[in-house]
Amino acid sequence: MVDSLALAVSVPLVGGLLATAIPKRAQALGLLASLVAVIAVAWVLVGVWQEGSLRSELGGWAAPLGIALVADGLSAALLAMAALVALGVGVYATGYFRRGDAAAHFWPLWLLLWAALNGLLLAADLFNIYVTLELLGLTAAALGALTGSVEAVSANLRYLLVGLLGSMTYLLGVALLYTAHGTLDLGLLAAVIQPGPVAASALVLMTAGLALKAALFPLHFWLPPAHANAPAPVSAALSALVVKAAFYLILRLWLDVFAPVVTPWAASLMGLLGAMAIIWGSWRALRSERLKLLAAYSTVAQIGYLCLFIPLLQALPPGSERDDLFVALVLMALTHGLAKAGLFLAAGLVQRDAGHDRIDDLGGTAQNMPATTFTIALAGTALIGLPPSGSFIGKWILMTSAIESGQWWWILVILVGTLLAAAYVFRVLSRAFNLEPTPRRFVTQARTEVPALLLALASVAVLGLAADSLWRLLGMGEGA
Amino acid sequence: MKSAGGLVIGAFVLLLAIWLLWVVQTAIDIGAGPRLAEQAFAGLPATGVSNPVTAVLLSYRGYDTLLELAVLLAALLGIWSLGAASPGFQAAGAVLQGMVTLVVPLLILAGGYLLWVGGHAPGGAFQAGALLGAAGVVMRLAGDERAGLPPLAAQRWLVVAGVAVFVLVGIATMGLGAGFLAYPIGWSKWLILAIETAATVAIGTTLAAAYVGGRPWSHADVSGQS
Repeated sequence: MVDSLALAVSVPLVGGLLATAIPKRAQALGLLASLVAVIAVAWVLVGVWQEGSLRSELGGWAAPLGIALVADGLSAALLAMAALVALGVGVYATGYFRRGDAAAHFWPLWLLLWAALNGLLLAADLFNIYVTLELLGLTAAALGALTGSVEAVSANLRYLLVGLLGSMTYLLGVALLYTAHGTLDLGLLAAVIQPGPVAASALVLMTAGLALKAALFPLHFWLPPAHANAPAPVSAALSALVVKAAFYLILRLWLDVFAPVVTPWAASLMGLLGAMAIIWGSWRALRSERLKLLAAYSTVAQIGYLCLFIPLLQALPPGSERDDLFVALVLMALTHGLAKAGLFLAAGLVQRDAGHDRIDDLGGTAQNMPATTFTIALAGTALIGLPPSGSFIGKWILMTSAIESGQWWWILVILVGTLLAAAYVFRVLSRAFNLEPTPRRFVTQARTEVPALLLALASVAVLGLAADSLWRLLGMGEGA
Repeated sequence: MKSAGGLVIGAFVLLLAIWLLWVVQTAIDIGAGPRLAEQAFAGLPATGVSNPVTAVLLSYRGYDTLLELAVLLAALLGIWSLGAASPGFQAAGAVLQGMVTLVVPLLILAGGYLLWVGGHAPGGAFQAGALLGAAGVVMRLAGDERAGLPPLAAQRWLVVAGVAVFVLVGIATMGLGAGFLAYPIGWSKWLILAIETAATVAIGTTLAAAYVGGRPWSHADVSGQS
């Protein structure tokens, strides 16, 4: 019996061990492990596509005594997005880290991060989630500090401490739940949980801890410096994947485990925080002087959009409308993941080519690096939510649901956020295009430019045009 | 102003503590009874070990322990990525040196004992590894630049040994037709001992290397690429 779920975690883990032990071959071993890991993830995806969900009990011990791994449509979709981004980041890293020394440090930590991410997405046990959060936070902070500059080290030391505070707060909630119910398994817990002070306190503690890690407004203060000062491939992974992982857990808790506990009032509070994140993040992105800082603040706003879905999902009764809204949420998360990865990779190339990433001095970028400028434009299309990107469909369904559930005020937030997003994207593009003559070559360095371009392209074209299959993967009936 | 702010924060923390104490008491009153303890004892014969803590760490929830070992490894990789270690302290005087030659072998011996006894009494890889790490700290304090560890190339293999043996056992049991980390009956005691031995060495090396505080200075390690 070959267990694709265990392989999705252990393949990047083994890759990380090999890259640690044999630093001279770290890059080759890392790329090889990435390829095998992508195959393992594809295997999980096929399994979920055919059977709806997969479950495997590790060590032969069934829950509650043992730990189970579970893949359903939501985790499979995010696993696949993570694999795509990871492949892009890996190929990009071979061109980005020129010194063998830097590559030898990057690969082991990066593969451990990927293993932690896959483990987190597949986890079905509250304490196991805590362990994957610790591994994820530690590797993310270490990777973010790889440039070794004072800003990078101090920003990521703060990220590490904030992450630890978040994990501890989460763990406090886990301890409460185990004390009350004697199980850590998500499925078993969902069956026995009752509204009351214990469940409410656990939900507050766990959500607060995870919101800190997801950089949900007003707990986003650590994100912009940490993401903006990390090496480009690391920023891409942090913004596209690591932040999203914490949000994934919030979603699991609110929609699955704590469904009977969540009140409309609590869900509206999450929506309100999301709305403030959209306005504040987009506004700060517009005012940013540096391209990477702009991308980082845009991540704060995008997490806000995902939180807007929570009050609407809570308000809608089970049925095809709610299913559509859930798919729209996943579509937004996937689109943003791909687009933000592409944007950060492209920003890294601009920074290396120009020697800086000050937006006002980016004149001529379109002439020097046409493919990279095109990447920024494509990723921007997805961030604004223009058709045919996935976030266009996502925002469309979000607004339709807002009207249908009578919570029309969210639409105002979406409109303002979209307008601000258009402004900050066009601000970059107008600077990039302000020099003649026309470029000589579209692609200047294929190894680094093409992965970024493909990720941005996937966010616009693939997810938008092939969104139908996502309905099937998530088991939500036929496409709209 | 400053003291007023402190007072507000203090009051807030006090309220938080009272709230948490009350909630914990409520959770205890809901009363899940012995929780998983009875099941953990009932499953012991099938695990190959008689110490319930070891059974939880290596059998019931072995996957958690595997990832925890990876957390330790990630911490050391983070330390190594930040640059070279500071040079060692000056060599110890005769009295300290005499104590070191006495204490270090004892620590290693005690570590080995804790590793073995973990199968049926309190002990195990983490305790044994902590003692080995302490031996490294003592040696570093007495002036040994590398804290008694082998050269960097060998250190790299030692620090991955714990996770490596663990995950390879998992993949092997999966290949044999049982699940990931599902030890076959009769083999489990020896597989657990193998994992714990590798983990002890890895934990001891990791802790000592973390205390050294940076990558030992070495060119041969990465000069292959540039």
